[in-house]
Amino acid sequence: MATADRVRRGRAILLLLWGLVLAAVVATIVRYATGIATIANVNQAYPWGWWVGFDMLTRIALGGVGFTMAAAGEIFDIKGFRPIVRAALLVGLLWYLTYAAVLMVELGRPWMVWIVFFSWAPTSAMFEVALCAVSYITILVLEFSPLVLTRLGWTMPVRWINAVYLLIVITGVSLSSLHQSSLGTLLLLLPTKVNPLWHSELLPVLFLLSAIMAGPAMMIVEHVLATHFLRLQPRMDVLRSLTRGLTVLVVVYLVLRLGDVLYRGVGDATLSFGFEARWFWLEIVVGLLAPLALLLVPNIDRNKWGMFAAAACVLIGVVLNRLNAAVVTMRVHSWETYRPAITEVLISVGAVAGMVLAYIYLVRWLPIHTEPSLPPEPETTPAGTLAQAVS
Amino acid sequence: MAPKAMIQDNTRCIGCRACMIACKAWNDLPGDVGSFFAGPGYQNPRDLDPHNYTVITYAGIDAGPNGQPDWVFGRLLCMHCLEPACASACPTTALTKTPDGPVVFNAWRCIGCRYCMQACPFVVPKFDFDKVVPAIHKCTFCADRIQIGREPACAQVCPTDAITFGDRDDMVKEARRRIASAPNRYVPHIYGLDEVGGTSVLHLSSVPFEKLGYPANLPDKPPPVLTTKVLHFTPKIFGTVWVTMAVVAMIVKRRFRFWAHDEHEAEEHGDR
Repeated sequence: MATADRVRRGRAILLLLWGLVLAAVVATIVRYATGIATIANVNQAYPWGWWVGFDMLTRIALGGVGFTMAAAGEIFDIKGFRPIVRAALLVGLLWYLTYAAVLMVELGRPWMVWIVFFSWAPTSAMFEVALCAVSYITILVLEFSPLVLTRLGWTMPVRWINAVYLLIVITGVSLSSLHQSSLGTLLLLLPTKVNPLWHSELLPVLFLLSAIMAGPAMMIVEHVLATHFLRLQPRMDVLRSLTRGLTVLVVVYLVLRLGDVLYRGVGDATLSFGFEARWFWLEIVVGLLAPLALLLVPNIDRNKWGMFAAAACVLIGVVLNRLNAAVVTMRVHSWETYRPAITEVLISVGAVAGMVLAYIYLVRWLPIHTEPSLPPEPETTPAGTLAQAVS
Repeated sequence: MAPKAMIQDNTRCIGCRACMIACKAWNDLPGDVGSFFAGPGYQNPRDLDPHNYTVITYAGIDAGPNGQPDWVFGRLLCMHCLEPACASACPTTALTKTPDGPVVFNAWRCIGCRYCMQACPFVVPKFDFDKVVPAIHKCTFCADRIQIGREPACAQVCPTDAITFGDRDDMVKEARRRIASAPNRYVPHIYGLDEVGGTSVLHLSSVPFEKLGYPANLPDKPPPVLTTKVLHFTPKIFGTVWVTMAVVAMIVKRRFRFWAHDEHEAEEHGDR
């Protein structure tokens, strides 16, 4: 493809992303001016809906890439992982920041949110999630800030942060394992509303484990896409280690998930192929069995798009799991029903577009992807090739 | 004061809705323009909402003496659980269970997360989705009246004594006595005696409660038992993970110092 075409297409994508962000901002203004009901279908029987299902449960789970990769790179010091931790932190931070942003749209009384820090509600999973999430966002900012501060030339605080960097990482991992599991506890309180295929006393463990599983999957997806679009050489050795780790995690989670369903005696419900069972199998097949089959293909770890496909499937599975549990199969004893409004989903889409934009601009500004460039493509003009050959 | 409770004897209810009016009057709630809807037609409004803390439900079922259709009434209101899931869910303790029995809401502390609505097995707390400054609304058990020694407005106004108010222990005895003395009139079930660990509103009925539209098959175990057990471990998990990670990091660092020739350490140090 000619360079001019590529630039034009890039501009069009940027424009589209900005348009989505703008649309979400407009919807937010309408919501603040007239109330939640104007833009959302959440109702008296289904008060959470899409926003909690996607923007809270799913975003935080996908943001797990921050703590898993920080642990793998900084604590376990896995060979070759350190350089990719920066990208993991950025992606994790963006998932968390957009969670916080959508929370301000979703909460009924967002101006009162500070009162959580002047409360003591140890029986509330929501209290635990709120405290841990805010603390962890602070940790993520601290972990990521050396890159920004160095770029700005402020070396003094960078030295302070680096002096205690390992302690910051360890605290971040601890905080994450707490609130990732507490998101499961959040649904554990609703035994009459969450479908038995998802409601289990193991929910906190399953949510934590699937968030850890989403870590390497998110990392593979990010690395393959970033190196593709930035025309860099992918770190195949790192991708290979990630794929190996992902395979183990998928197997462990799959065994635990199916074992839990069988142990609780709701296995029969999966064979009815009713509405809930179909969503259950979609989640299991797309999110766990398909990627596992891909990951077990010999030499898949030499094919970056193969690894990408497996990792993307795992991510879709995690998204399906959270949405199934909290939105799709949730049933409330009421005459009311719930289906998300377009504007409700638009807020989430706008937030994702905002993430992508922030990522694009920050990756250009900060040394996040330092991989060597790919050799120039054959279509390059003869003059260009000549110039390179001469130099 | 001993914990209070209320008997809602649906066999005595004539569907006059005086309780709904008394509730609106005492709680200063605005009136609504009603509308008909598919289903139990004379019932109005259809459900609890921010303006209606209690609603008389009209179930048209074949319950007449010869099996002909008849109205059977029920009542929606906050059950004031002994171990309320809503209060355990609230991240800011805006909802609390008072020793007298009422579960009360402090609007000032509310952040509008609506976890209480999700947590409630009876789908009772309601929210102003259409307001710029919303709040949670639900029956207060007239906590302010109980405090000054009066019974809730609905109990005082009921013309057929379908609502009886008193100490919970006495109310449980009274409900048992009624069922025992007229076994043909009542189904042998006190709704709220054991449901989700017991509630402060005890319903009696002439037909099975699911026919009245009440949530059936509720667990006897209070939902908060599930979560407090897990959240109890929270500080321990934090400590365990922290120490484990610190130990791992120490071991890993030492390993690299030992094999100082490991090329990747040198490479990575320059990286950060």
